[in-house]
Amino acid sequence: MTGTHKGFRIATKVLIYLLLAVAVFCMLVPYLWMLSSSLKLNKDVFSFPMQWIPANPRWENFQDIWTRIPLGRFIYNTAKLSVIVTLLQLLTSSFAAYAFSKLQFKGKNILFLGYIATIAIPWQAYMVPQFIMMRQLGLNNTHMAIILLQAFSAFGVFLMRQFYQGVPDELCEAARIDGLSEYGIWARIMLPLSKPALSTLTIFTFVSTWNDFLGPMIYLTRTELKTIQIGLRMFISQYSAEYGLIMAASVVSIIPVVIVFLALQKYFVQGVASSGIKG
Amino acid sequence: MQNETALRPKQTPKRLLSKGVRDHLVAYSFIAPNFIGFAIFTLVPMFFAFVLAFVKWDGANPMEFIGFDNFARLIKDTTFHKALWNTIVYTVGVVPFTMAVALALAILLNQQIIARNFMRTVFFFPYVASLVAVAAVWNFIFSPTMGPVNNILHLITGVPIEELPRWAADKQWAMFTVILFTVWKNMGYYMVIYLAGLQGINPELYEAAELDGANAWRRFRNVTVPQLAPTTFFVLMILIINSFKVYDIFINLFAGADNQLNDSTRVMVYQIYNTAFRSLDYGYASAMAIVLFLLVLGITIVQFRGEKKYGQ
Amino acid sequence: MNMKKVAGLTFAAVLTMSSLAGCGGNNNNAADNAATAAPAAASNASASSEPSQEPVTLKWALWDWEATAYYKPLIEAYQKAHPNVTIEFVDLGSTDYMTMLSTQLSGGADLDVLTIKDIPGYSNLVKQNHLEPLKGYMGDNSIDPALYGGTVEQIEVDGEVYALPFRSDFWVVYYNKDLFDKAGVEYPSNDMTIAQYDELARKLTSGSGAEKVYGAHYHTWRSAVQLFGILDGKNTVVDGNYDFLKPTYEQILKEQEDGIVMDYATLKTSSTHYSGVFYNNSVAMMNMGSWFIATQIEKVKSGESQATNWGIVKYPHPEGVEAGTTLGTITSLAVNQKSEHKEAALEFMKFVTGEEGAGVIASTGTIPAIKNDAVISSIASIEGFPADENSKAALTTVKTYLEMPMHEKSADIELILNEAHDNIMTKNVTIDEGIKDMNTRVGQLLGN
Repeated sequence: MTGTHKGFRIATKVLIYLLLAVAVFCMLVPYLWMLSSSLKLNKDVFSFPMQWIPANPRWENFQDIWTRIPLGRFIYNTAKLSVIVTLLQLLTSSFAAYAFSKLQFKGKNILFLGYIATIAIPWQAYMVPQFIMMRQLGLNNTHMAIILLQAFSAFGVFLMRQFYQGVPDELCEAARIDGLSEYGIWARIMLPLSKPALSTLTIFTFVSTWNDFLGPMIYLTRTELKTIQIGLRMFISQYSAEYGLIMAASVVSIIPVVIVFLALQKYFVQGVASSGIKG
Repeated sequence: MQNETALRPKQTPKRLLSKGVRDHLVAYSFIAPNFIGFAIFTLVPMFFAFVLAFVKWDGANPMEFIGFDNFARLIKDTTFHKALWNTIVYTVGVVPFTMAVALALAILLNQQIIARNFMRTVFFFPYVASLVAVAAVWNFIFSPTMGPVNNILHLITGVPIEELPRWAADKQWAMFTVILFTVWKNMGYYMVIYLAGLQGINPELYEAAELDGANAWRRFRNVTVPQLAPTTFFVLMILIINSFKVYDIFINLFAGADNQLNDSTRVMVYQIYNTAFRSLDYGYASAMAIVLFLLVLGITIVQFRGEKKYGQ
Repeated sequence: MNMKKVAGLTFAAVLTMSSLAGCGGNNNNAADNAATAAPAAASNASASSEPSQEPVTLKWALWDWEATAYYKPLIEAYQKAHPNVTIEFVDLGSTDYMTMLSTQLSGGADLDVLTIKDIPGYSNLVKQNHLEPLKGYMGDNSIDPALYGGTVEQIEVDGEVYALPFRSDFWVVYYNKDLFDKAGVEYPSNDMTIAQYDELARKLTSGSGAEKVYGAHYHTWRSAVQLFGILDGKNTVVDGNYDFLKPTYEQILKEQEDGIVMDYATLKTSSTHYSGVFYNNSVAMMNMGSWFIATQIEKVKSGESQATNWGIVKYPHPEGVEAGTTLGTITSLAVNQKSEHKEAALEFMKFVTGEEGAGVIASTGTIPAIKNDAVISSIASIEGFPADENSKAALTTVKTYLEMPMHEKSADIELILNEAHDNIMTKNVTIDEGIKDMNTRVGQLLGN
């Protein structure tokens, strides 16, 4: 390698880091604002000019959110729902996706197309029929309603199927010859290979259940069952909105999601090859 | 995940069923857990909504069958046309933009770089944050006369603040603003999908390409792109579908105290929601949802064929 | 793909669905019949004697449980007098309350007492037959609609009433006495025309940057601006012709251009809340509903509101209209037609909407629907209420027009008006274009 080439490389690297730094800053600005607002009185949140470091930080906001609404209870409910939904989703989606990707059966394509297209129907369009049905099943005001509605999504199947598509068919063939059943192939080959995809699905399902608002709003009308997103909106009342408290609660509510995201990061570095399989 | 092997079923009684039937049963058994739940809790109400498109129903009183009247109404409904058009413009703006940024980010953050996990988290942040909070920040920053964006633009360009775009409040700039916001908010989400996809590419393919003397661009073109095809198909479909279904973002960015959008920001789901819940015209709202469904179904079929061709 | 197969599948599925739906409907009806039959029998039995002493649990649909002062005292007061009754609240949130309520009722939720938040939502629930007609009950219990200052008549549908107001807010002008003193301008009076209001606002505007004081402030709601136009009683917003709004919009847009009031687009995009600008001493006068009285008193006490020296006066009125003419909005109670405890629910509604309930509500600083002298004195004597005579006098009104009058299509009309209002105020269309848009679209709607 020549010196100029090396210089060029270093220059691009510096440029890339510079761009990344700017981008990271743009990404973080809203959070800094959120954090700073969470320490303000409601009336100062939207006052111009912006005050990045509040003159009198109101740490009480972080105390008030726990007493003004049953936030602890809400977090517990939301965590419970998110964990159960995510586990079910992972299991059923990766299971179904295996069939869609690696097995041959009648009606495969049309069923799959149907799965995808139904994602397109906005929930608002069938929310009332669904609600009527769930009430007749006696599931209104139970966490079961939310679990059943969220755990079997077409989205998860679609996501997992796409990743299984990337796994060479020869791998499954070889396993079949070795006498492994289809269930065995799924459990011993597909699951370990799809850790990045499973992590992705875990993150997405967890976040969407965590942040879901409309579903819990309709199905959970008893306070002791409600979730954190409903809690956040309790600070917005008919004639006023307590943005200081909303921001404080938002900051608190983000923490678990970030933990989940960071914990799963380690699965985003192992390639197929590094887990010992050669295509 | 290793203990999942416990799920291995007992040997099925041999020779009772032909191999073809058995294979089918195995395949269906894989699909069943998800499909049964999905069918009961989503498909059934969806089909019910489908039936609603052919009736007049206010949500409580008896239904009245009216055939295709709801669809006939759609053809003449200029408000709906406007909503459809805005949704399409939005989708066309959001999809390519998001895909490009997400892929670029994923490739960049898949390299050995400093503070990689931190940066991945930072780019994923906007997706996680509560929409209520980030939309408020965004609007504040882009506020026409007092927001920092216009003040900085004013300093750089010297254009008087009154003549700068008024972003979310401006008919001409509203769509641009919301597209920018959407890309910003969701690019981390698609970045994660691409990142997961990138993990599935065999590094040996890159090594081989490098040995053949392929430069970075050719490696990208000849290894990354084809290997990522299933991921790209997924990202594209989900992006299109999510853009067609957009609602929350518009409401939080544009609708003020009265939760309303105007002609330049009206989108399909908003129209469906209002028709069903404010005008109590569930049948008509269902007809709109079916139009949305058919649109996406059409795009899916085209894409699906493309994927098959491309994948082989 | 085989299109025939798709069609066949779809058809089969639809058939299954419709038969399923049919079953669902039938079940529902059967349940309803049983449900209505039982309380009917019960009410016959108890009609002659004292109210039944059997334990009853009533579910009350409401919003903002935490943020509303009067729910708890109302329930406590009622349960004290009726030990056999337990009231449970169901908080459906304020943002989409009427939609949530309608969805819950369509699903057959076992709610008994329903709070009605706005007129379009009320009109929808009436159309859906969710609400129990009240005329008969009012007659039996000699509830006099005249007590409610004309609001009950305004929510009649085909000669029947389905809800009774318990809270009745009206619009007044809040002003910051310190800012008036600083500008050396005399405080506003209880008899002020819209033109005088404009003049006063111009006198009080001063400064720039962070020191800027705006003479007046209009919140981003349509009612805060548009409805000055209906105070003369000659027009309503459900007639289909909106030409009369032109002078109002001209005046307000002029004020906006001259920097007398904050820019609508900025307010809307920055989610600026009216309370914040008033607390921060940035506006001298603000037209707002009476619900803000209790909030302002409380925030002055807690120190969040720096506008500690304040007062209220009657709403500005057009030339030739009596002072005390204003806009109003009512919050009412209704009873679910399918309630299993109708009798008890009606009893509770009667209490909350009656004089006793009014006393409880007034003691929390909120204006009840029954506004007699005792109620007014009670509010004016709350600690923190402005001490001047004018502020107390401002609590009486002579004529209140509902922000949204009762109309079969009021939900749709409101949508159109809000959109056009937004377009005019953000200057995306001219006043004439906006008015034309309202005329054509509402015209189409009413013609249908």
